[in-house]
Amino acid sequence: MKRRSIVALSVVAVLAAAVMTATSVASTKKATASSITVWLQVDAQSGWPDLVAAANNQFKSDHPGVSVNVQYQNWGDHLQKFDATLAGGGGPDVIEMGNTEMTKYMAAGAFADLSAAKGSFDNSANWLAGLAKSGVYNGKTYGVPYYAGSRVVTYRTDLFSKAGIKKLPNSTAAFAADAKRLYAKNTQKGFSAFYVAGEDWYSAMGFVFDYGGGIAQRVSGKWKGLLSSKKSIAGLTAYKNFFYATSRAGKTATEGAPNPNPYDVYAQGLVGSMIGPSWFSCCVGAKFKGSTAQFVMPGHVKGTSMPGFLGGSDLAVPVTSSNKSLATDWIKDFTSTAGEKGLQAKGNIPNATNLLGNSVNERAASRSWFVPTAKHWVDVENGNILRNMLGQILTGKLTVKQAASSASDNIASVLNQS
Amino acid sequence: MLGSSALSAAAVLRGRRRRRFLERSTPYWLIVPTVVAIGVVLGYPLYWLIKLSTERYGLFELIQHHGQSVGLHNYASVLHDSVFWHTLLRTVIFTVANVGLTMGLGLAIALLLLRLSAWVRVLLTSGLVLVWSMPVVVAAQVFFWMTNYENGVLNYVLSQAGLTGEQHDWYASTFSQLSMVTLLIVWGALPFVVITLYAGLAQVPHDLLEAASVDGARAWRAFRDITLPILRPILLILTSLSIIWDFGVFTQPFLLIGQAKTQPGNFLMSTYLFEEGYFRTDFGRGAAISILMLLIVAILSVFYVRKMVRIGEEVA
Repeated sequence: MKRRSIVALSVVAVLAAAVMTATSVASTKKATASSITVWLQVDAQSGWPDLVAAANNQFKSDHPGVSVNVQYQNWGDHLQKFDATLAGGGGPDVIEMGNTEMTKYMAAGAFADLSAAKGSFDNSANWLAGLAKSGVYNGKTYGVPYYAGSRVVTYRTDLFSKAGIKKLPNSTAAFAADAKRLYAKNTQKGFSAFYVAGEDWYSAMGFVFDYGGGIAQRVSGKWKGLLSSKKSIAGLTAYKNFFYATSRAGKTATEGAPNPNPYDVYAQGLVGSMIGPSWFSCCVGAKFKGSTAQFVMPGHVKGTSMPGFLGGSDLAVPVTSSNKSLATDWIKDFTSTAGEKGLQAKGNIPNATNLLGNSVNERAASRSWFVPTAKHWVDVENGNILRNMLGQILTGKLTVKQAASSASDNIASVLNQS
Repeated sequence: MLGSSALSAAAVLRGRRRRRFLERSTPYWLIVPTVVAIGVVLGYPLYWLIKLSTERYGLFELIQHHGQSVGLHNYASVLHDSVFWHTLLRTVIFTVANVGLTMGLGLAIALLLLRLSAWVRVLLTSGLVLVWSMPVVVAAQVFFWMTNYENGVLNYVLSQAGLTGEQHDWYASTFSQLSMVTLLIVWGALPFVVITLYAGLAQVPHDLLEAASVDGARAWRAFRDITLPILRPILLILTSLSIIWDFGVFTQPFLLIGQAKTQPGNFLMSTYLFEEGYFRTDFGRGAAISILMLLIVAILSVFYVRKMVRIGEEVA
């Protein structure tokens, strides 16, 4: 009996201790005004940590005693983490958002209104129209344009000249013919003349827009899917044929995780050319650094360029931040003219028209497309509707028409949710 | 004198009664800490989950920290969603396949262990324990690399051996994707099942088996009429645990298939719940799905639990 009660007592003690530690862990530290937390994507960590450091130094000299805690996030799960902080606190004071992710959060009231401070950001009068638009909701500015990037072709100059390609392709048909020449000279297994992952929807939608098609359109207050239109189907068919002719990447592969990054395959010497953000040149491998150059992806009409997805990021201040004015000041420092010129030097498109140059990246941006600016667009992206459609088309499971009309209906129903 | 003795007799009786009451209630007192702990750890979140499932709770409500009551709307919307029913059917088939393979292979390997020489048995058991000690996330990552289309060692070996002309895409169709997930799950689940069943097999009396073989019973007959009935309680426990685990399995399918490839056509209940709840930030609907999942698992395992209780009563 005695032993039993001792056992019971110790069980109670252990459980009580467990409950107490659990609650003590749950109570999070409240952020003090002596530091601000910034969430940037890993792109900044690998591509331009020096610019982040420069902004931090500027900020610290303006605000002595306030430190900046930069935490790098991944695209795949940063929104889920952000949602958790909206519910439970302890979130960032500044957050980097992809331009396609903004609308849903602005509509839900997740960000502080920065309209009053807009004039104090460098070059805000000349912000890139497309990028600035992604940070505006109901006429109020919630997102500060950070940088943009277009998608260009990165290629191996040595392989192109070995294959006898003297002139860079000026149409998709010419590109496909060049791919044939590349394959004739490069017979190793797994080699792609033009590496594009089958489900790379950014590239595939470029073809759709090149043929005059589109993804969705708002018609009298309701979203209508456009992928099943004649022009979109022509674009998807062209993509399918181009993929078969040029790429040996997986038909159901994605343009990054869980699939390897295109530049990793490139660095293995298995790629003649690939499409992606211009900063792909960062990571082509030391061996090929000297024999790598870039050009603008051609369209199907001779002499035109393929409309490229204009990706980009905004910086926003969450409503949960208790240091909103400090956060705004940090954004000012990070997106200063000097900071944006630094981003441009790294191969990005700066946030204002007066800073634009004539790099291949900036030229590619001259013909670009963007996703529908709908509150629920991010659900279309996360639901992988477009990727799934491309997989169905390329594996031949469905015809282009079948896959496109089912995806089109799907997109319309997601965008029209309340 | 008489009065006092009667009084003392009554006191003794009362004392005895109190002692008996104490003795009888001891088990209940002993169980109180457990019940309280379960109540705190499970009951409280469950209460919130049920409350959440009756609310509209999206991103807007998350920021306001306040949901809007919508009654049973979330349940109705889930039950009217064809994706839910397709996912449920897919998950049931998936669970049956996974549990069947785990239990079948587990039993076969456990029986094999009995027949092996000591050092091979030690080798095999160590291998199993190593599998067991591998964290699921690590296992999924390694498995993913091995089966990767571009650089996977599996495709490399197959093409070097001349078995496949082209690289094979192991994740090209839903069936193929879920088969890879099944492989990973069964691989990871086997050690526990094998080691537990092997321990159970040690309880089968040798003399019984010997007597059976003297009486001319073949191996299959001895297995069916002696080994299996003795193993039955363990098999039932393992099966019902496997059903609960495999029906709600999340880590393996989500990591192996990947968020970029997860779509309604390959949803399992857990990925459906995750996509609806977290990716679409519809926490009310997510909560309704998880309550429904809880009910389904309860229904699926009620059969096994009942049998287990019956076996327990027989033994008692």
